[in-house]
Amino acid sequence: MVINYGSFYDFPHLFDQLMDDLHDPQLTAPRRATYPPLYISEDDTHVFVRALLPGAAMEDVELIIEDNTLVLRGELKPIQGKYHQQERPTGAFQRLVKINVPIHKDGITATMKSGMLFVQLPKSTAMQPRTIHIQPR
Amino acid sequence: MQQMPKRMGKRPRVQPPADFVERADGFYLYLDMPGVDKEKLLLDIENDKLSVHAKSNFGLTAGERVHSMEFGEVEYYARFEVSELVDKEKVSAKFENGVLTIYLPKREEVPPKRIQIEVL
Repeated sequence: MVINYGSFYDFPHLFDQLMDDLHDPQLTAPRRATYPPLYISEDDTHVFVRALLPGAAMEDVELIIEDNTLVLRGELKPIQGKYHQQERPTGAFQRLVKINVPIHKDGITATMKSGMLFVQLPKSTAMQPRTIHIQPR
Repeated sequence: MQQMPKRMGKRPRVQPPADFVERADGFYLYLDMPGVDKEKLLLDIENDKLSVHAKSNFGLTAGERVHSMEFGEVEYYARFEVSELVDKEKVSAKFENGVLTIYLPKREEVPPKRIQIEVL
């Protein structure tokens, strides 16, 4: 996944995709092609990566930052007992998120709350927007 | 007939993925409901219908510029029929790591009584 500053050019396409998804019964289906689903956003100072990982404990998830790629991997163990119905995913998962903004690696924080992983990646100060004051001549 | 709960805003309503597992002591229902606050989770059991209703909140802020959105805030709603085998009085639930676990213990069976037949 590439964070593209020109991503607004994709907006018409993304909007169409959203409309298609809304009419797609598969959207609410339990298993999706890529697991876990991600929500990637940014503001002036941070890049945010959220992942839905219900049932995963902190020790089940591994988070690595390598060059400009965030690696998220882990395993969801099946439940003991006799299954009468199984819709929740199990097994190993891995996702790579390419971050094409320089990141201050020591400042990365990750938290888990009610099944959601939230990673905050601070942008290098050189990349943060700066206000330039206009001087009168 | 139980009525559908009123929609919570404009979020899409989804049925959480469910696992239904049987063990010696009873049945366990697992529902993936990430982003839900335990305090705001509604779990009702009425006659033989069990319903779950909650709204997710991922702390998304309006100031964020979104790059990729594979999920969003939703409203979870699910309804299940509780089997005759379940002791409804003893149903319990817990919410951990975004998974709601509902324990449905089996009803203790009354052993059949043997009637002695006297030979006259």
